Amino acid sequence: MSGPTSEYVTLVSRDGFEFIIPRNVACVSGTIRRMLDPSSKFSEGLTGRCVLDEFPGMVLEKVCEYLCYNDKHKNDINVPDMDIPPELCLELLMAADYLDV
Amino acid sequence: MAAMRARHKIRAPKRGVSKKTEDFDSIWTDLSSFLTGINTKEYASLEYEDIYRLAYKIVLMMRAPDLYENVKQLEQNWLQTSVQAIVTDSISASLIRAEKSTDAQDQSSERREEGEKFLTALKVAWEDYQFGMGMVADVLLYMDRMVRSHDHPPIYVVCMSLFRDHILRSSIRPSSNLTVLDILESTILFMIQLERSGHLIERPLIRHCIQMLEGLYETLTEEESSKLYLTVFEPAFLNTSKEFYRAEGQRLLEIGDATTFCRLTTQRISEEQERCRFMLSTATEPKVLDLLDSELIRANIEEVVNLEGTGVRHMLDHHQLDGLRNVYVLNRRVDNKKSALTKAVQKRIVEMGKEVNASSILLPQAPAPAEKDDESEKKPEKAKDKEKPQNQQTVAAIRWVDDVLALKKKFDDIRANSFSSDQGIQASIGASFAEFINLNPRNSEYLSLFFDENLKKGIKGKTESEVDALLDNGITLLRYIKDKDLFESYYKKHLSRRLLMKRSASMDAERQMISKMKMEVGNQFTQRLESMFKDMTISEDLTANYKEYVARNGDPDQKPVDLEVNVLTSTMWPMEIMSNVKEGTVRLPCIFPREIDALKQSFERFYLDKHSGRKLSWQANMGTGDIRATFIRPNGKVQRYELNVSTHALIILLLFNDVPDGESLTFDDIKNRTLIPDHDLIRNLQSLAVAPKTRVLKKNPMSKDVKPTDAFSFNHEFHSPFVKVRIGVVSGGANKVENKDQRKDTEKKMNDERNGSIEAAIVRIMKQRKKLTHSQLMTETLSQLSARFVPDVNMIKRRIESLIDREYLERVSEEPPTYGYVA
Repeated sequence: MSGPTSEYVTLVSRDGFEFIIPRNVACVSGTIRRMLDPSSKFSEGLTGRCVLDEFPGMVLEKVCEYLCYNDKHKNDINVPDMDIPPELCLELLMAADYLDV
Repeated sequence: MAAMRARHKIRAPKRGVSKKTEDFDSIWTDLSSFLTGINTKEYASLEYEDIYRLAYKIVLMMRAPDLYENVKQLEQNWLQTSVQAIVTDSISASLIRAEKSTDAQDQSSERREEGEKFLTALKVAWEDYQFGMGMVADVLLYMDRMVRSHDHPPIYVVCMSLFRDHILRSSIRPSSNLTVLDILESTILFMIQLERSGHLIERPLIRHCIQMLEGLYETLTEEESSKLYLTVFEPAFLNTSKEFYRAEGQRLLEIGDATTFCRLTTQRISEEQERCRFMLSTATEPKVLDLLDSELIRANIEEVVNLEGTGVRHMLDHHQLDGLRNVYVLNRRVDNKKSALTKAVQKRIVEMGKEVNASSILLPQAPAPAEKDDESEKKPEKAKDKEKPQNQQTVAAIRWVDDVLALKKKFDDIRANSFSSDQGIQASIGASFAEFINLNPRNSEYLSLFFDENLKKGIKGKTESEVDALLDNGITLLRYIKDKDLFESYYKKHLSRRLLMKRSASMDAERQMISKMKMEVGNQFTQRLESMFKDMTISEDLTANYKEYVARNGDPDQKPVDLEVNVLTSTMWPMEIMSNVKEGTVRLPCIFPREIDALKQSFERFYLDKHSGRKLSWQANMGTGDIRATFIRPNGKVQRYELNVSTHALIILLLFNDVPDGESLTFDDIKNRTLIPDHDLIRNLQSLAVAPKTRVLKKNPMSKDVKPTDAFSFNHEFHSPFVKVRIGVVSGGANKVENKDQRKDTEKKMNDERNGSIEAAIVRIMKQRKKLTHSQLMTETLSQLSARFVPDVNMIKRRIESLIDREYLERVSEEPPTYGYVA
């Protein structure tokens, strides 16, 4: 499920939750895309495993949900709103900033 | 919504549990060690997330500008301390020396090796640096996003400019002014020079260095036009290329072989294309080709085309299609009109055309140089002698047309094969053909003779398409002839002979010919020719009707004589040519013997019954008759022959019916009793009494010429292997080239006709315009008439004068000269 050429990548939260999502979905984030760029020599690119120390699992889960949601509706118009729990929104904003989504 | 949100408590973002102290300096220490790791390629320990987070933290501390400056400083130090040394060390002393001398050939192999070493070092340094900076820029993404808003270029761009300033623009030796860039440039140019002179070089290496130059910009804003490649290398490259190709052009010219020149040049072009595509930049391709075009081709093409012995002329003569194609392609590159090539081709066509013209004039004169006076005036006594050169002239005429056609075909071939059917060249080839064809004053006559010959004999046994092609060829030539009216009159003359004497091989072909001419030249042109055909058809009906008429109320006492009449409209047929009468002399109708006369009157009655008010005039010299003659041999045997003779000869022979055997008639007798014009009479007597195979009459004294004092008697010893004998008229019927007198005649008639056409055109124009200036009238008249002939300007002037005299026109004003139409 990992490696530089695998179709899926693993995102790991600070508290150890692992989320496995398709590579192209994950690469919507500029940060993750650069992290995984196989032509660079960073260890994330080689293993396909990104440890995101900045976020707890709860936030990362929402991030992954958004990434998938984004991918699912990328060609649609009139996309339904995604459900964002208000208590997470500030942290999500920061995550979005960090990940360049 | 607001109320709902208010109920929930928003979680404050928790900071990660950081073990490190959160001040700028300590984070920077960590970060800079990572960045150095990138530079030294120690990637093993690098985790993107770590570095990114470090940078992120610094930016969150609002210290992004500091980070930016620090990174910049770090990379600059790195370049100055380690990379620069590697690069400058790779530059050997010989490269520096060589930089000063542009002569590529000295110590080429040494320099080449050194150069490759240097290029490799530079390439490796660049690639490593570029790759590292890619990673640095990636991890500092967050910082970039923050600082870009502050008018700073992205860190990657800054780092690239650092490389430019501290590696490429650095001096190679502390004491020297030369920079690495200078050496790079001269080395690459040297390599290219080597390749141009046929050596193999390390293309990918150069390609990488070029890519480096393409990836670096003069300014931080990275405009397309400020690429180092464009600002530094390309001009230098173009300069060297220019010099190289100027020298190359000289060198190739000195070789002095057009074929080689074209081949090598074509090769150079493709080499440069390839070079630009695989080694330099595609953007350079048009520039360097442009240069090549101007230096190598434009400067030299004219000389090449005209090279003695190998130039276009030589290629044309030896049918070197490939060579011509090369020349064409080269010439097209520099000149859309291909003027150099076109000029050469035109010149050659005209030359060859003149040769053809000359040979057609020379040929008839060569075998009969002694008979010069025959050429100048037609002496009736020598008619028989004349036949030879005249025949030869006919042959020459046909040969001329054939030659011209062959020439035309040759150039069409060349054009199709070598000049990719170029329109412009086609036009100019056409113009050249027109030029030399019109140089031959007898063009119309020759062409008409050509048609005549082919329609009489040439098309026998040929398929329809062959005939078609043949006629088409002729028509093509007709297109080039300026004086189409002259051609028309010749054609008419020849056609009338063919029709009346039934010499035409195929009426279909004749009709086809007419319709082709119609398409080519227009309705007006063929109108008269068509009406000639119509006359022939009407005459056929008429003859049939007359036969019926005779059968119904024919006189039983008459010996039945078959009559076939062609009634011709005198305005449509070239009467004056047929009747051989000079203007001004009154022509007496010849006296028909009573048998014929009765027939004639009977037909006239019949015809005038049908069409009252018309006048029939009999053209005896155009007809033929069949006569059954009885010869009594000395041994008493009777031998009968059917003689096919001309009408005149028929009349003459019928005279002898009334002459007792053994007695003779003198020339004057015959003349007085028949009133046949001298000229025709002589010819007919010649064929009856002189021609060895058809000697029906005896002449006394026996000689070739017919003199007024000669006496003629019936020759009972006439002998022939056939029962039917055809007795032709000497030098009469066949279509020959005209002699000078006839020519003058024709030209005179032509002039008269032209005068008429010009006047008609002028009056037409003026009737429509009422008032017109002189120059406008001229142009309009010329354009109206150009389809038929090219009138002489003086001729038009004289016509205008004459029209004014006759009060069709009037002078309206003098300044500018203007004419008005008088109704």
